[in-house]
Amino acid sequence: MDFTLSEELTSVQQLAQQIFTDFTAVDQLKATEQQEQRFDANLWQALAEAGLLGLDIEESHGGIDLGFYALSSLCEEVGRTAAPVPAVPVLVSAAGTLRRFATDKQKEQLLSGIVSGAHLVTAALEEYGNDNPAAPSARAQLVEGGCSISGTKICVSHAASAKRILLSAQTGEELIVVLVDPHASGITLRPQTVTSGEILHELVLDGVQVPDEDIVARGGKALEAMQWAQQATRTALCAMTVGISDKMMRMTGSYTTEREQFGRPVATFQAVSHRAADCYIDVECLRLVTQQAASLIDQGRPAEEAVLIAKIWCGDTAHRVSQASQHCHGGAGVDRDYPLFRYCLQARQIELSLGNSAQLTGELGARIAEEFLASA
Amino acid sequence: MNIELTTEQKALQQQVREYMKTIMTPELIEEMKVDDLKEGGGPEFRKQYARMGADGWIGLSWSKALGGKELSHVEQYIFTDEVIRSGFAYPFLTTEAVAPVIAANAIEEVQQEVVGGVKRGEVTIAIGYSEPNAGTDLASLRTKAERDGDDWIINGQKMWTSNAHYADYVWLAARTDPDADKKHKGLTMFLVPTSNEGFSCTAVSTLGVRTNATFYENVRIPDKYRVGDVNGGWKLITSQLNVERLSLFTHGQVDSLYQGAAQWAAQANANPEGKVIEQPWVQQNLAKVKTGLEALKIMCWKQAWSMDQGPLDMADASTAKVYGSEFFVELYRLLLEVMGTAGSIGADSPGAVLKGKIEFRWRVGSILTFGGGTNEVQRDIIAMAGLWMPRTR
Repeated sequence: MDFTLSEELTSVQQLAQQIFTDFTAVDQLKATEQQEQRFDANLWQALAEAGLLGLDIEESHGGIDLGFYALSSLCEEVGRTAAPVPAVPVLVSAAGTLRRFATDKQKEQLLSGIVSGAHLVTAALEEYGNDNPAAPSARAQLVEGGCSISGTKICVSHAASAKRILLSAQTGEELIVVLVDPHASGITLRPQTVTSGEILHELVLDGVQVPDEDIVARGGKALEAMQWAQQATRTALCAMTVGISDKMMRMTGSYTTEREQFGRPVATFQAVSHRAADCYIDVECLRLVTQQAASLIDQGRPAEEAVLIAKIWCGDTAHRVSQASQHCHGGAGVDRDYPLFRYCLQARQIELSLGNSAQLTGELGARIAEEFLASA
Repeated sequence: MNIELTTEQKALQQQVREYMKTIMTPELIEEMKVDDLKEGGGPEFRKQYARMGADGWIGLSWSKALGGKELSHVEQYIFTDEVIRSGFAYPFLTTEAVAPVIAANAIEEVQQEVVGGVKRGEVTIAIGYSEPNAGTDLASLRTKAERDGDDWIINGQKMWTSNAHYADYVWLAARTDPDADKKHKGLTMFLVPTSNEGFSCTAVSTLGVRTNATFYENVRIPDKYRVGDVNGGWKLITSQLNVERLSLFTHGQVDSLYQGAAQWAAQANANPEGKVIEQPWVQQNLAKVKTGLEALKIMCWKQAWSMDQGPLDMADASTAKVYGSEFFVELYRLLLEVMGTAGSIGADSPGAVLKGKIEFRWRVGSILTFGGGTNEVQRDIIAMAGLWMPRTR
C-alpha cells in the first residue's frame, strides 16, 4: 500500500496546474463561453506543447506514456479550473481506447495528431436511455468492404469538429466498434444545449458506410474496448469531480470567511462551517475511491466494481457539495459574474452523465445479489 | 499510488485472523453473553488475554526495548482490524494508548509492574477522564489530587469509566493546581490501583454495554503512581489520542456484518417467493452499505499509512472520526432494514438474525458520534484545519 505520488506525476500535476491557471482567468473563460464551440484552442495547444495531451499515449506516437493514473490527474486539474477543453472525451474515451484496442494503422493515423493537437478524435458512448456502449441499440450491417451503421447517439462532445468519432453498434451477432467521419453521408448532427452550458450533439446515423480500415474491433475485443471506455470515462469524470468539488468547497470556505452579516464572518456560525466540513468529508471520500479506481485501471486490473462505487460517490458528492456551496454563497452562488456557477453546472452535468448514483446503486446491488446468491 | 495490501501485509492479516479464531473459544463466547462481561473481565477473558500475552501478541507496536516488535502503523492497523473483527474484547486503550505513555513517563518500578503486566496480558487499565461536568470540555474536570508527604490524596468522581469494574488500575486525570491560569495547565496523570481503599465503582447501565461511575474518597496513593510531571498531564492525554484513532474505526468488523447480512438475505425466503436479496430495495441497501464501506476501508488504510509518513493531518483525522462514526450508524440501520422486524430481535431470543449482532451494534452505535471527541468539535476542526475558516463561536 502506497499513497505517494511519484515525482514524475507530481511534476506533471504542477505543470498542468500552471498552464490551466494561466489560461482560465475569468475574462478568458467568459470569452470562450461566447464562442459557439466552448473550446479554448490556445489552451489545448499549450497543453500539447507541454506534452500533456500524450500522458496516456505510447512514445512511438509522440506521447510520454505515464499511464492512466497520470491522465486522471490531468482531468482533476481540468475540473479544478473549469478549463474549457475536452480532456475526457478526447484523451480518455477516444485516445485511451484507441491506444489499447485499435489497429496499428489506426493508431498511426490518429494518435500522433491528438498528441500534437492537430486534430480531435471524440467518442459517442451514450444513447437515449442507454449509457452502456457495450450494449448499444445502434445497428451495424456488414457489407462489402466494411459496414453500414444506423442509430442515434447523444450528447456527443465536439462532434462537428472532430476528425473521427469512436462509437459502437451491434451486428445482431456481435458488437462492433468503429470510427466514423462526422462529415460522412448519412450523418445528421443536431446541437443539444446542456446544463453545463456546452453545446453537445445528437448524432443520427442512417446507413453510414464505414470502410474496413475504420473498424476498430469486433466481437470479444470490441466488448472489452467498450467496457474499458465506459470504466475509464466514468473514472475520469470522477477525477474531474474531485477537482470541481474541491474547488467549490474551498471557494465556500473563503467566501464565508470574508462575507460578514450580523457583524461577524458568516463562517463563524457553526451552521455554516459544519456544512463546509461535511463537504470536506464528501470530497475526501470521493478522492479515495477515485484514486482506487484510477490506480486499478492504470495497472490493467479488474476495476468494474471500484468504478461503480466511485461514480456513485461522484454523483452524490457533486450534488451535495454543489448545493451546499451555492447555498452558503447566497446570491453570489447563482450570479453569472461570480465564478461558482460554472462549477455547479459542470458538477450537475457529470452527475447525470454515463450513469448516475441511483442507477449505479441499482447495478451494484444486483451484482451483490448475484455474488451472494451464487455462494448461498 | 497503489491502494492494496502487500503480500506480507496480507500474510499478517491472515495470521492474525487464524490466531484470533483460537482465542474466541466457545467458553468465551458463552461468557460474553452476560451483560457485565460483554467487554471483557470474566475468567475466560482473562485466560485468553494472558494467552495472547504468553504467545507474544501484546504490544506489537511497542519499541523493542519494551519487548515490542515496532510494527509500522499499517501493520498495527491490520492487527487491530483483525482483533476487532474477531469480537474479542481486546483492551486497546490499555495496550496501545496508555501503556506506551506509562512506559515513557513512569518510574522504573511502576513500568515493571504495569507495563510488564500489560505485556503478559495480566493487567488492564480503565480510563478516568470524563466527569459528570466534564465531557468534551475535558479541561474543566474537577477531581483533585493533593500532595500529602510522599503520597497523593485523591477526591472526586469520574463518569463513563468503562471496564473499571474489572480493571486493575484507573488512568486518572486529576486537578493538581486549581489556580492555573489556563484550566488545562493544572492537570496531572495518576495510576490508581482499583484495590485501594476509598475507590468504589457503580454500574451505569447503557443501551448496550455496562459502564461505570467511579468514586474517589480520600484515596491515598504513593507518588510513584504519578506519571509525568506535576501539572503536565494535558500533554500526556493528548499524546495518546492519535494512537487511539487506529482502534476507534476499523473496516473489518463492519465489513463482516455486511457480509453476514448479505449471506443471510441470500438464504432467507421472501414473501411470497424468492429470496430476500432478490428484492430491489434490499439490493439498494446492500449497495449503499458497500459504497460506504469501500470509502471507509481506504480511509482507514490511508490514515495508518499517513501515520507512518509523519504526523497525522488534523483535518484528515477528524474526517475519519466523523465519517466513521456516522457511517457506522447508517450501516446498522441499512442492514437492520434488510432483516425487517426480525432485525429487532435480541441475541437471546428465538429468531434473532446473526445472533442479534447488528441489533446490539446499533444500540451502542451512537456512542461513537459523541464519544472520542464529539463530532461537532471534529467538524469545527475540519473547517479550521482543512478549509482555513475562522473559529466558530
